[in-house]
Amino acid sequence: MADHIAVHRSGLTMPVVTPRFIDNAWRRGCDFINMDLEDSVPQHMKGYARTLIKDAITNVTKGGAEAFTRINHDLVLADLEGIIWPGLAKVNYPKAEYGEEIQLLDRIISRLEQAGGIRPGTVEIGADIETSVGVANAYDIAAASPRVREFGGAGGYDMSRDLGVEMFVGFDQFVYGKGEVELAALALGLEPHTAPFTANTTGSVGDPDRAFREAEAARKCGFRVGGGLHPNVVEPQTRGFTPTQEEVDEAHQVLEQYRQLEVSGETWAETDGNIIDRYEAARARKLLDWSELCAARDQEKAEAFARVEAAEA
Amino acid sequence: MSMLIRRSNLMVPVTNAKFAAGAWRHGADAITLDLEDGVVPALKAGARELVKDAVAVAGKGAAEVFVRVNKEFLVADVEASTWPGLAGIMLPKVESAEDVVEASDALTSAERRHGIEPGTLSLILLLESANAVFRVREIIAASERVSQVGLDESDLSASLGISPVAEYDPFVYARGRMAIEATAAGVEPIGIAHPLGTLPRLLSGDDMLKVATDSKNLGFKGIICPHTSWVSSVNTAFTPTESQVDFYTQVRDVFAQAIAAGTAAVPFAGRMIDVPVDEWAKVVIATSTACNLRDAEKQTAMEAASV
Repeated sequence: MADHIAVHRSGLTMPVVTPRFIDNAWRRGCDFINMDLEDSVPQHMKGYARTLIKDAITNVTKGGAEAFTRINHDLVLADLEGIIWPGLAKVNYPKAEYGEEIQLLDRIISRLEQAGGIRPGTVEIGADIETSVGVANAYDIAAASPRVREFGGAGGYDMSRDLGVEMFVGFDQFVYGKGEVELAALALGLEPHTAPFTANTTGSVGDPDRAFREAEAARKCGFRVGGGLHPNVVEPQTRGFTPTQEEVDEAHQVLEQYRQLEVSGETWAETDGNIIDRYEAARARKLLDWSELCAARDQEKAEAFARVEAAEA
Repeated sequence: MSMLIRRSNLMVPVTNAKFAAGAWRHGADAITLDLEDGVVPALKAGARELVKDAVAVAGKGAAEVFVRVNKEFLVADVEASTWPGLAGIMLPKVESAEDVVEASDALTSAERRHGIEPGTLSLILLLESANAVFRVREIIAASERVSQVGLDESDLSASLGISPVAEYDPFVYARGRMAIEATAAGVEPIGIAHPLGTLPRLLSGDDMLKVATDSKNLGFKGIICPHTSWVSSVNTAFTPTESQVDFYTQVRDVFAQAIAAGTAAVPFAGRMIDVPVDEWAKVVIATSTACNLRDAEKQTAMEAASV
């Protein structure tokens, strides 16, 4: 696993050209804000949109969120030259299809980091898999740069168009591709970013109950990365990806029982129908680590909010 | 680029005179005359003699006509199949890129002898083993002639030692792999959702339509139909519905208005419409138009042939 585990439970993707979204973004309480230059920005506004990023970074991070930018697949150089400013944590690159594309991104970002006095390696690359070619080359893409730390995709509208399938059907039309990107991520020690199938036949993007169920299901399948399009889903996603107090208590109990087991020299025991062994102990430790990271992240955001309020008072 | 519309491909043994003679009446986009598993070994040689007339008859309703050849009799079968009206051959039991190159070479040589423009005849590949599923990428890429690739799930079951049951789908991975790799290579994946791939049988209209629609949503572009009764459900399932065309026409309008107003993200019907949704809307509408044209073409030919 990566040395630094990012906490990206909730996030909003929004067109950077819509001031009412950007100006209110910091209040939403998400772990990250993804400022879009791509699909939500009209073609004739691409150049203008780029010029907004520098100020928007400062604006959207006031509440402790990390700032990401989604660039255009076909405007890589111009977009990168307009957006690599201090405070940008990640560049999301849509429709990634070849490792060479990611290597090129890496080179340009390295040059711009150096020119801008940004610590080398700061800016992460999100290589979004949205086509069948991308799935076919998933491993090469994920392995192309150490800046790729979270890796996934293989669903969504672009993928549906590429495969020629409808989005909202009663089964998982993307199961193979999601499996491939997850395996590539795990094989390379990256954080997998995908989710198990939960039926959604309406296509609603703002249903908080659904967002919570989805996030909880994803967490139970080992995923920790969220993100959405509607403010209603931020809190449910943050909650769904955070371990509950009950789970934290259980994890402490498992570790306590495992310590006793080690004293007795046994390798496993059964209590109340549950197995206690070193695998369960490792799982419990991982949950507690994640719970602490989530708490630290929530603390950071609360402090940032307090600073803004103090400044405005 | 014109869109290939080959939703239904009706398979008939060339030795069954009644089926071969009537196949054109069912509205299939393609008809495949079988020389392979549908013909017992003793009749193989005689079956080749039937192909010339059968190709002409099968094409009466404007279906594309294919012949499924025997891999072990590739050259003789290709030679017996190359007559006016042949769209291509279906190559079963493909195991390697070499198999595809060999078939392509056989077609090139047949084209030359018959004065057909080189590269005209198309290949539909059938994968029937774990090896073939694993090597799908090199197999598909072996020839420009490859237009479609499918799984023969019955033979794949036998190859893997599976006795299929309806309750469990053994081929989620194989189907997904083929759909992704074919789409990535610009070749159409064809196939049918569980359980009809491993257990082909007759289903009533609605049930058949459901399975065919699921197949489309697995990424497939068409279905090989062992029964005439599958054809109309398959054509319907792979044609965008009127309500889809209406919905996506509205999506295009709403999106165009949003662009004019300075945003490419606009809420509509609870969804968020942005570029990829608009792009998909274009695909749905263009597919609908192409399907309607294909259906009109077949209708005209069938009416003319029925007179």
